[in-house]
Amino acid sequence: MRHLLPAAAIVAFATTPALAAVPKLSPAEHDATHAMFEHVIDIPTVIGRHNVPQMAQYVADQFRAAGFPAADIHVMPYHTGSATQGEDDTAALIVRWRAEGTPKAKPIMLMGHMDVVEAKRDDWSVDPFKMIEKDGYYYGRGSIDMKDGIVGITQAMIDLKKAGFKPKRDIVVLFTGDEETNGIGAKNGATEWLDLLGHPEYGLNADGGGGGFNPDGTPAGFTLQTAEKTYADYTFTVHNRGGHSSKPRKDNAIYSLAHALDKLEAYRFQPMMNETTRAYFEGRQKTEKGPLGDAMRRWLANPGDGEAADIIEASDSEVGLTRTRCVATRLFGGHANNALPQLASARINCRIFPGVDPNAVKAELEKIVSDPEVQVTREDDNVASLASPLRPDVTAAYTHAVQALHPGMPVFPEMSTGASDARPFRVAGIPVYGASGGWIVVPTDERAHGRDERLPVQSLDDGVVHWEIMLQELAGK
Amino acid sequence: MKRALFLLLAAAVSTSAVAATDPRTLPTKLEPAWQAKARAVFKQAIEIPSVHHRGEVPKVAKLLADQFRAAGIPDADIHFMPYEALPGDQTEALIVRWRSPHATKKPILILGHMDVVEAKRSDWKYDPFQFREEGGYFYGRGTSDMKNGDVATTMAAVKLMSEGFKPDRDIIFFYSGDEETKGEGATLGSTKWRNLTDAEFGLNADGGCPSYDEQFRALGCGISMAEKTFQTYFLTTHNPGGHSSRPRPDNAIYDLADALEKVRTYRFQPMQNEVTRAYFAERAKQEGNSPLGKEIRAWLANPNDGAAADAIEANPLEVGLTRTRCVATMLSGGHADNALPESATATVNCRIFPGVQPVAVQAELQKLVGPKVEVKPDPNFIGVPTPASPLRPDVVKAVTDAVRTVIDPRMDVYAEMSTGASDGSFFRAQGIPVYDMDGSWGISPLDERAHGLDERIPVRAFYDDVVYWEMIYKSLAG
Repeated sequence: MRHLLPAAAIVAFATTPALAAVPKLSPAEHDATHAMFEHVIDIPTVIGRHNVPQMAQYVADQFRAAGFPAADIHVMPYHTGSATQGEDDTAALIVRWRAEGTPKAKPIMLMGHMDVVEAKRDDWSVDPFKMIEKDGYYYGRGSIDMKDGIVGITQAMIDLKKAGFKPKRDIVVLFTGDEETNGIGAKNGATEWLDLLGHPEYGLNADGGGGGFNPDGTPAGFTLQTAEKTYADYTFTVHNRGGHSSKPRKDNAIYSLAHALDKLEAYRFQPMMNETTRAYFEGRQKTEKGPLGDAMRRWLANPGDGEAADIIEASDSEVGLTRTRCVATRLFGGHANNALPQLASARINCRIFPGVDPNAVKAELEKIVSDPEVQVTREDDNVASLASPLRPDVTAAYTHAVQALHPGMPVFPEMSTGASDARPFRVAGIPVYGASGGWIVVPTDERAHGRDERLPVQSLDDGVVHWEIMLQELAGK
Repeated sequence: MKRALFLLLAAAVSTSAVAATDPRTLPTKLEPAWQAKARAVFKQAIEIPSVHHRGEVPKVAKLLADQFRAAGIPDADIHFMPYEALPGDQTEALIVRWRSPHATKKPILILGHMDVVEAKRSDWKYDPFQFREEGGYFYGRGTSDMKNGDVATTMAAVKLMSEGFKPDRDIIFFYSGDEETKGEGATLGSTKWRNLTDAEFGLNADGGCPSYDEQFRALGCGISMAEKTFQTYFLTTHNPGGHSSRPRPDNAIYDLADALEKVRTYRFQPMQNEVTRAYFAERAKQEGNSPLGKEIRAWLANPNDGAAADAIEANPLEVGLTRTRCVATMLSGGHADNALPESATATVNCRIFPGVQPVAVQAELQKLVGPKVEVKPDPNFIGVPTPASPLRPDVVKAVTDAVRTVIDPRMDVYAEMSTGASDGSFFRAQGIPVYDMDGSWGISPLDERAHGLDERIPVRAFYDDVVYWEMIYKSLAG
């Protein structure tokens, strides 16, 4: 699940003066990156289509061809499935780049996922599984969530190896195959595959963090993700006796459900703040002059000022950052065109503020609906997610990489509203930082999970350079 | 499709409301010799599982044709008409012409269908395709919908032929093979095969007309002469969607929910036609001074009294009879649990008052839900409005005489508009009036098992129906 970006802010962890030329890929490296990206976008790694193993094999082949020993490249087939998200025979890819001699520290884990969210040809203006380059963009499902990150990490390691780079600690790659659905790969990674991963000290997740530019070309900032909301799905279900549609009954499962959804649409949860979001808003308010900045200043001064929090939440750039949010994402109902529905249901996706129990949210949803006809059930057993402590070395390396590519770009901490593979590792005591080097134009390119998902062409190359700098900083010294 | 039996509020029945003997225990007027003949044919018909795609309908056609042939109908007047119904479903219609030696009027068309709805052995108490008599009932799929009508209309004709009766107009029998699924047989019968079927009017044996309540009170017999037009629409909302962690102010599902709230509360303009006026006039008599009876009288006196029409429509007995009704039947939307929906669709099924065009209802729905919601008709079935068939005094008299003589002297006969559709609709659309008026009866709601489990018909009702159709033929073609 992909990071999303806040708008302009200037609260850098450190400022790096603009140095010489901005680093770039060579033409050969660019061509290799483009070819790998096109190949993986064209594989529809949607749940149920059994295509992830094919992609895992392809990426493994790229590592092998670059000279990484076959013994350190593991395609790990596994089954993923749940009642609500569907089933698949999928795979993870684990690659270990060993340090020469005795490693000076435990491994660094580089994370990503190879699966993508469903995309329907009819909903898109182009084929979502045929990458095209148009108007300075790559179009295709997974172009920003997050096959760009898979390619960025893979190509960076290949380029560094070719250039003779020798890591002083192990670098281990974990690319999973079901992050968008059941997250079994990450759970396995944090448990049974932990030996294979060498018990990493921390993880750097390409599926988090990242940056943006405003449409006028001014920098919107980059974020390092240190916390994330808890992902939880709920279902509203209504049963009815049904009957023949020529004789409509007074009560109708679809209408009861529609009424419950209208109530949910209008409801807002209690505003909340934590260390990461406080630091984030402290930074944001420094440059935010207008009414939005005023609301941030009011809320920081008085966390009980709900009206100020509501203004912030209503802003396009800050949505999801001030509280738990729940939204209807899917609808099901009825069994025949000419029969009254016996069943109607809606899937409700919640992003819960860190520390809040998903069971408490269920109770709150029941209160919102307050209709005994409408049953509220949980679809998973996710527990509340935890935040990772800020590490000066990671912060410095990330800032350095971002500012080498984008001189003067502000960098600040972020609580992600999405959930990712980081959760089981954070719960297992392994901190994870969303540290993507990709960037997009905000808000026009915020199309992860949506239609006509796209990535600026230059962002793909920049992502490769970003990971090269990060790895040299964190594993080369 | 068999329409549900009309059910009165027991408390409201004023006329013919005296509790009586169980009609299932009274003797039928059909002679024992003909009982045996009809029963034998019925058993064979029930034991042919003429469900769609099983290729069994031609066996039913042959069974019925054999009866006509044995009674003297020449092969030249017996037509087997094979056709494809649903894709891959090879079925057949049977058309038989019983000629009058001295026809003075246009023919009468007798309608029925030979196919049945699927029935699963595991769902039923006994094998649905094994004919069984138990406790005063015949059991099996098709015993009430409507192999009973096929056999009764056929055997009544065969019996009259054996007695030397000569009709004064041709009687055409048209039995289709896909009424329960596509209605292709009725479509062809009313158009391409019109040279074989053209008639002054049709009598449809699909759906018994008389019924009793559980206290054995005669509930009367409603002849269906008009039907609402079936049209399904899809209401769809679109949205750019996006990541569900960042809800947008607009959302395809919420937009659709708003539209459904409007559909839920909306009521179309009340309407009356000749058939429903006659129906409500009869209902007013039955209801007497009950609140419903008063509302009906008020609406009949002033068709613009919308409040009275609304009160009638709100009564469970009268739902769908005062206007066009549309109801949400299915929902779908979204493409992933963690993505904002890019589209959401509700299926809205409408039963349109006769004479109103489906495009007009589409426009009305569009106006109701607003420009954010796309309203489109189901491209797989575009409804064609059918005119109400005129009230024919000869048909009403024939049915009334037959019902009162054969079944129960207390039965009243009245006009009715059906909220469902049957083979009759295709013929009405092509200018042949059709009256749904089979004489088989049942106990409502106990015996309302068409399409359902353990379908059955009272033994006496099956035999009565043969005598009933004899009287109908004699009355309308004698």
